[in-house]
Amino acid sequence: MVNQLIKALPRCFKGLFVLVPVILLSSPFVFAHNVVGGVYALGSLIEGEAGFSNGDMAKPGTAVKILDSNGALIAETSTDEEGIFSYQATRRIDHHFLLDLSSGHVLKLVLPADELPENLSSEAKSVAQTAVPSVDKTLSGSDARIDSEKLQQMIEKAVAKQVKPLRKELSAYKEKASLQDVLGGLGYIFGLCGIGIWIRQRKQEQDLKDKQRQEQARATVS
Amino acid sequence: MHIVDGALSVPVLAGGAALAIAGVAVGLKKMDYDHLPQVGILSAAFFIASYIHLPIGFSSVHLILNGLIGLALGWAAFPALLVALLLQAVFFGFGGFLVLGVNTLNIALPAVLVYGLCRGGIVSSSPKVAATWGAVGGAGAVAITTVMVAASLALSGEAFLLAAKATLIAHIPVMIVEGFVTGAAVLLIRKVKPEFLNLSEEWEGG
Repeated sequence: MVNQLIKALPRCFKGLFVLVPVILLSSPFVFAHNVVGGVYALGSLIEGEAGFSNGDMAKPGTAVKILDSNGALIAETSTDEEGIFSYQATRRIDHHFLLDLSSGHVLKLVLPADELPENLSSEAKSVAQTAVPSVDKTLSGSDARIDSEKLQQMIEKAVAKQVKPLRKELSAYKEKASLQDVLGGLGYIFGLCGIGIWIRQRKQEQDLKDKQRQEQARATVS
Repeated sequence: MHIVDGALSVPVLAGGAALAIAGVAVGLKKMDYDHLPQVGILSAAFFIASYIHLPIGFSSVHLILNGLIGLALGWAAFPALLVALLLQAVFFGFGGFLVLGVNTLNIALPAVLVYGLCRGGIVSSSPKVAATWGAVGGAGAVAITTVMVAASLALSGEAFLLAAKATLIAHIPVMIVEGFVTGAAVLLIRKVKPEFLNLSEEWEGG
């Protein structure tokens, strides 16, 4: 019996090894996994990425909707070959990013306003207007102010650049379930089973007792 | 397989939840409580299976095992899968709480269907026939689940054919692996522990 099984296995495996790569090569689709992603501010430039928990990135050209906190559409963009998208923020507000990676995989990302540079105004203003103050200051001649402002921007950009890989690593780490999670889940399942069996046991014992009592009652009657 | 929160419309969520509750109720009623440990073991197997990604080429797949669970448990697959899906949502962040009903229905109903369709096959006296039916059950359950996922999305506004095609093609490797694993599992369990598939009453042994 077992020999038959062992004999049959290699044949099945052979078929599997031929079939699976052929199908995989012919279908560039991603499989059902968790969707993961993150958005990071580099100065006023918001960069984000989207993909699946197994390391596949979002398909190039996936539409990205950018909404404000009231749900109004600000802009639309799309992902590149590596699942990365970017948006130049013009206002200092919460930016909500909405991606649909097909097959029920939707991803919502939020970039809070306080991660954007303070010199962006929260009101709807054109880019030109926000750029005006620095021009004014150049004219007024206070070079020290400009330098410190520019320096601040440079520092912000540099820090953001340095922190970006760390953020990516952290979000990947957050997505990864640990052994504790697995063991915890198993513990819950077995615990539930235990409770079920215990309740059943109690019921059976109760039934048995009831029966015995009835029999005793019958015996005394007769 | 796991639809995430936010992808489905409210009526679909509510309908899925209602049907899932009905399924769980039937499952709890029909469940043979002598087989409670077995329900737990298979629930645990499903819980773990989605976590383990098997690398194939440059991508990876994970087993779903709803075919095997259906063949072994029948209607009891509903409560078993509900518990496993709930814990997956809590611990791994797979799916979500609002879509729990829809996800349970999409994964457990195919399991019950497979139980109805392939049950006769796996009790056959010929191991080859039984293994084939097991494989058909394993692959079939994934296929039905895929179609149901596509249908849930279609009811929420996504184009059905497009969604169905995309998910179906994406899951062909899963179906192959799943069919193979379920077939082999049925073959092995028949030899080693026939009572695990509740075969002892219907099957005289070979």
